[in-house]
Amino acid sequence: MKRFTLSIALVLFALVSCKKTEESGKLTVGFLLKSKGNQYFVTCEKGAQAAAKELDIDLRVDGPIQADPAKQNEIVENWITDGVDVMVVACENKDSISTALRKAKQAGIKVVTYDADAQPDARMYFANQATAQGIGEKLIDSAAELTGAEGEFAIITGTLTSANLNEWIDAIKARQLEKYPNMKFVGIRPCDDQKDKAQQEATNLLSANPDLKAIVAVCSPGVPGAAEAVKQAGKKGAVKVVGLGLPSENRAYVKEGVTQAVILWSPEDLGYLAVHAGVALAKDELVEKDAKTFTAGKLGELQVVGDSIILGKPIAFDKDNIDDYDF
Amino acid sequence: MKKSGFFNHLLEKNEIILFWVIAMELVLFQFLGRNFLTSGNVSNIFRHSAEIGLLALVMTPVILTGGIDLSVGSLMGLCAVVFGILVKVFGIDPLSAAMLTILTGAMGGGVNAALVAGLKMPPLIVTLGTFSLFRGLAEALTRGSESYSGFSEGFLALGNSDLAGIPAQVWIVVVVGMMIWLIVHRTTYGRSLRAIGYGEEGALYAGLPVRRNLSIAYIMAGAVAGLAAVILVSRLGEARANAGMGYELLAITAVVLGGVSIFGGSGHVTGTVLGWIALAILNNGLTRISDYEIFGEKISSVARELSGLLTGLLLIAALALTICMKTLAARRVAKQT
Repeated sequence: MKRFTLSIALVLFALVSCKKTEESGKLTVGFLLKSKGNQYFVTCEKGAQAAAKELDIDLRVDGPIQADPAKQNEIVENWITDGVDVMVVACENKDSISTALRKAKQAGIKVVTYDADAQPDARMYFANQATAQGIGEKLIDSAAELTGAEGEFAIITGTLTSANLNEWIDAIKARQLEKYPNMKFVGIRPCDDQKDKAQQEATNLLSANPDLKAIVAVCSPGVPGAAEAVKQAGKKGAVKVVGLGLPSENRAYVKEGVTQAVILWSPEDLGYLAVHAGVALAKDELVEKDAKTFTAGKLGELQVVGDSIILGKPIAFDKDNIDDYDF
Repeated sequence: MKKSGFFNHLLEKNEIILFWVIAMELVLFQFLGRNFLTSGNVSNIFRHSAEIGLLALVMTPVILTGGIDLSVGSLMGLCAVVFGILVKVFGIDPLSAAMLTILTGAMGGGVNAALVAGLKMPPLIVTLGTFSLFRGLAEALTRGSESYSGFSEGFLALGNSDLAGIPAQVWIVVVVGMMIWLIVHRTTYGRSLRAIGYGEEGALYAGLPVRRNLSIAYIMAGAVAGLAAVILVSRLGEARANAGMGYELLAITAVVLGGVSIFGGSGHVTGTVLGWIALAILNNGLTRISDYEIFGEKISSVARELSGLLTGLLLIAALALTICMKTLAARRVAKQT
């Protein structure tokens, strides 16, 4: 009984000794990643950290270990109770995160999304890396150029529910039907944002479709995964690999000639832009639904379309220029 | 230790250890964490773990019989999808849809019951099968990619609003918890579950309706998994096939941590509740650790990754401690006599 009383006393002690919130006087910005294991988001975080240093704010970075919408909601809700001033969020799933983000907005928190958007009413601005159409068209155009615009191609995606990836895929399919009628779409496989899974799925695609001419990967772990599968199947050059990815993760494959083209904007700039936008909202320098342009530190003046701040056009990396980029 | 008073009547040794664990967690996270013991965060702890609490509660009778139900998490996925289809495709109102979803859960539990109690198949194998079966069905219904959202404000309130300062779904956990406690500890049915856990043959020869009682436990587990699915959908505002993935193992962890014997026969619902609370606090607390540096590495950046490791350590340490205390007590008794 004594021990039990003691434990109760301890609990009570803990309850009454509630610690006060640490007040640094700085703006607190929560920066949410889709998943911590993804190099792409780690690079976004780098840009966010750079912006935080520049703007002298308190940056908190968090994200699920593996892409998990339910965990993202929990992090957002914890941030609401923490009373952060700004949330900068890459959304794994549009609808479920919006439920939590609306709560944040009601609590007076400024909400900016980046990389993958939420429902428009759940955030104030979206830092858009490039339009879905721009990305999709660039991908299918490179694939068409490499294959002579004919033959079968397959797509590797992150998850089948990922809203932004699906928009790009729709753009790819629309462009192909319109401009490259001799190409044939044979299938789409999800890799759960993991390289191993992408490799396994690409291997399955290769054996199921012996006439496959190109694999288009729309998520960053998908590109090296597909390249490894093509390499191991001994189909280097015969099956072209193009995709959205980081130069650093693909450098070896590009130089070997397994992967032909890697397309991306700078994720570092995207993180940097998103944090700048969030802080500008908190300082009333940026007003919801009002801006035509936005000046984000070293990035200069950027165009605002509706409520999206556009980062710019994607860059294509190949054998010749891949060494110029260090992310 | 003299057994006296209301609490001692309820608490076994294991539960006292869990009280200690919870107290230590509270002190530790209050000291290390940021805004840990604030009313908002305490609400979050329970709001985010209500579904696992429900599964753990209803897993208790199943484990008391010496069985296990690995399929509850998958059944949640199936039920979430069924609920989404009922509301968004057939336009049924959320309350009726919730009832039908719970019924679907009960039917899923019925499949387990038929195989375990009817065909005498081992529960581990049966529910391992239905673990894949239910999730697969949910994925097939949505082709893996479809999800349902845009539920009414009133329905979303279930998962996101407070009732008398306490998250709405926590009230449901409290009600279900009291019902399970009464069933397990205050009815002949509850006693029969432990009898089955000690020895099915014996229970059968004692004239207990073993088949019927086993079936009820699995059907109950299914129905509550359906309820948990409705709550999860309401909290997230979205129904999709991966709802509740991995929840079955967290629920089983809570039950075992609470001192319920995995071989069946002994255990208390209070233990399960404490085990659940200990886990819920651990998972929330780790995410609240402020920026401390150890060996130049910021803790908060790795804290979430530690949750699996610490859950495992907690489980093993708590069980080892219980067994040590039992052995010591037995030795003391042996010396005295």
